[in-house]
Amino acid sequence: MEQFLQSPIKELIGRFPALGTILEDYAIGCVPCSVGTCLLRDIVEIHNLSPGDEEELMGRIAAVVAPGQAVAVPRSGRDRAAGPGKVSYSPPMKMLVEEHRRILRFVALIPALTAGLDVESAEGRGRILDAVDFIRSYADRFHHAKEEDLLFACFDEGLEILKAMHEDHRRGRACVQGVLDALARRDAGGVARNLAEYGEILTEHIRKEDEILYPWMDRNLTTRQVGELYARFREVDETFLEAGERYEAFVRSLEGQYLDAVAEVGR
Amino acid sequence: MSGFSGCPGSRMLEFQKEDTPEGAAEVRIASQLRQWPIQLHLVSPAAPYFQGADVLLAADCAAFAMGNFHNEHLKGKGLAIACPKLDEGQEAYVAKIRALFEEARINTLTVLIMQVPCCQGLVALATEALRGSSRKVPVRYVVASLQGEVLQEDWL
Repeated sequence: MEQFLQSPIKELIGRFPALGTILEDYAIGCVPCSVGTCLLRDIVEIHNLSPGDEEELMGRIAAVVAPGQAVAVPRSGRDRAAGPGKVSYSPPMKMLVEEHRRILRFVALIPALTAGLDVESAEGRGRILDAVDFIRSYADRFHHAKEEDLLFACFDEGLEILKAMHEDHRRGRACVQGVLDALARRDAGGVARNLAEYGEILTEHIRKEDEILYPWMDRNLTTRQVGELYARFREVDETFLEAGERYEAFVRSLEGQYLDAVAEVGR
Repeated sequence: MSGFSGCPGSRMLEFQKEDTPEGAAEVRIASQLRQWPIQLHLVSPAAPYFQGADVLLAADCAAFAMGNFHNEHLKGKGLAIACPKLDEGQEAYVAKIRALFEEARINTLTVLIMQVPCCQGLVALATEALRGSSRKVPVRYVVASLQGEVLQEDWL
């Protein structure tokens, strides 16, 4: 059974499709994940289920992949801080979650932004370039740089879960490049497709971070590390202060323009 | 009904414990205290051991209730102790905690309190100091049961 605990989840689900359904029963959403390189052991640990639920889950998995064998993931050090089901963030994580809220407000506007896209006029292209600037400067240079340069550096960069997060960031950047390439070709469909794909990647990526990754990181960061991260995040915020206000104003102005349209799409 | 209607913090309780058996090896636990003084009225935010430190602000009773107080809670931290129920001059406490944030530029503050309601006052003092501080610092609180178990911990 140990070999299965050390296997990438996508590979396991490929071999044993029933695992996908079992994981979903415990709100572990690995099936739609486009990366799937996380190891089964890490996934079970990171989701921090109650001891009873975890035992039941492992029993069901074992019955599928290795009938007759019992299996458990060591729980040492996993029951401190917030218990299963309760999400409570440390101050630096709260800062990142707040930034996610702003990014998701932008992502929610993408369908309206790309409806009837004008790539011919300078004004229409300028609107797309403003969106690209928000993604590159705020979501990527500011927010993702905090994660990649400061937060992830507190952990073993070889962890599959971190590789999966880096891969999401890389795919997001590829979509943005796709938007720019399509814009250069005056290809409205290409711009819309790439922006929509960016929105899908970021929505799923943020859900994984807010619900799974950050709570797990909080359980594993020392108090010292939390304080140091918070101080360094605030330093980054201070250097980005004016730009932060500008991007908040940008999202708010888009909301002013498009929120009615978003509500219309939602009906 | 327990028949007790007074302050839960003053309620008389006795915990039955087995004595250590004769001849059993006694483990000496090294103190993790690395400073003096420790009482909040007496400590100075200018002290070198507070500069950039992770600081523990513990309710007076906590160290007696928690068997592994030194290793689990005090290790690696600067310390101040106070009683939010009995101590006088608590406005000075708020100013001193704020000075720890602003002048000593501490890294984090952990407030360790007992589960009795009056002990929440220590968290309230830290919250008030943080609100008035020009420098923000992560503040964590830990609530211990009367027999020293951690009941709750979270960040403000």
